[in-house]
Amino acid sequence: MLQIFENGGRPAEAEALAVMFEARKRVFVDLLGWDVPVVAGRYEIDQFDDRYARYIVLTTAGGEHLASARLLATTRPHILGNLYPKLCEKAVPVGPEIAEITRFCLDRRLRAAERFQVRNQLVSALVDDALATGIRCYTGVAEIAWLQQILSFGWICRPLGLPQTIEGKLTGALAIEISAETPALLARANIYVRSQTLAGEFSHAA
Amino acid sequence: MGMLATAADYCSAIEEAVGPDDLCAAIAAIALDLGFDHFALTHHVDIRLAARSSIRLHNYPDDWVEFFDHNRLAVSDPVHRASHVTSVGFTWANLPRLITMTPGDQRILALARKQGLGEGFTVPAHVPGEARGSCSFASRAGRPLPRAVLPLAQLAGAFAFEGARRMWRAAELGPEPHPVLTDRQRDCLIWVARGKSDWEISRIVGISQETVVRHIKQARERYGLDKRTSLLMRTLFDGTISFTDIFRR
Repeated sequence: MLQIFENGGRPAEAEALAVMFEARKRVFVDLLGWDVPVVAGRYEIDQFDDRYARYIVLTTAGGEHLASARLLATTRPHILGNLYPKLCEKAVPVGPEIAEITRFCLDRRLRAAERFQVRNQLVSALVDDALATGIRCYTGVAEIAWLQQILSFGWICRPLGLPQTIEGKLTGALAIEISAETPALLARANIYVRSQTLAGEFSHAA
Repeated sequence: MGMLATAADYCSAIEEAVGPDDLCAAIAAIALDLGFDHFALTHHVDIRLAARSSIRLHNYPDDWVEFFDHNRLAVSDPVHRASHVTSVGFTWANLPRLITMTPGDQRILALARKQGLGEGFTVPAHVPGEARGSCSFASRAGRPLPRAVLPLAQLAGAFAFEGARRMWRAAELGPEPHPVLTDRQRDCLIWVARGKSDWEISRIVGISQETVVRHIKQARERYGLDKRTSLLMRTLFDGTISFTDIFRR
């Protein structure tokens, strides 16, 4: 099931978001060892999880977290602009049509085959959401280990600067062009899954 | 010109290439521009057995390539092995920090030097679910490695590899879709990978031992393989199961 939470989520949606924050803690803190804040020992929540953040979340029919991503407006504080502007050789790309993808998170409990499906759905949902909301470019900060996989989704990517070592990890900034053609590019790479078909699937995935 | 503009030029050159020969020429030009003499972009498989579906583009000296293929080095080459333990580009001088170098490995590097390949920089290319690969840039023996450009070479290698993937896919030369296992077959296989006996698996999964044996046999048949070990290797390779599945806590 695909869920989109706008403006940091409404109070009624807090529970659904908590499930995501817990999943993020399992991935980014427990698995990847990122030095990011943990709230109440369970939730990975940082200064960008504010009332402007937008979340794309995939869950099972039972509400269990499968995958999620956080979108930050580049006109407001965001990771590339505020934490790592040095990754951009020129000015950090900002504007109402540019959003930053952060916390791209595939649940730790997913098995290999489910992981591919869920990843493809999340990437597709990100593209659909951009097209629906007038976003023409995504930016993102990624470890080099991720770069080849991001390129393999088939969309058009451009580096924003040379990769640099940050906290011991070679890291780079990317811009991803989004246009009406992007779904077809993703489809050519066997990635694209239409968002409308999402609801009700994956009830089997734990 | 800034490094970024150069990187953008490389990306465009790779995207505009219309066939493997064109792409090969484009990457060769990028290698030269970076200050290297040669490049090799390849999937790490035995190219003689998998010629249709695996990618290889290079402008290495012919003698070396012939020797390399003849001795089936693609799967044991120390450079390829090292690129399986890191996702960050590395210089060949750093190989001993990444893998344990055997006398055979030292011999391969010495032979490569004799054939005119000196220092090199390799960008590992790992797309989950596909054969691992890499893009290497090499200098002629005796010529120093252009160190200042290595971050740019890292980007160039990644974009070049994706360029080659796209081309192979467009030509429908990509890998055949792999066989699909049932959930039960896969569950049994994961327990095999964890070292459990058929009897133990039957207790854990809650089915009879005969059924366990049948699931694994049918999984082998779907892949056309005789040995369980081969099945484990193939399914790990194509992403049907992963190391995370096996070592999950």
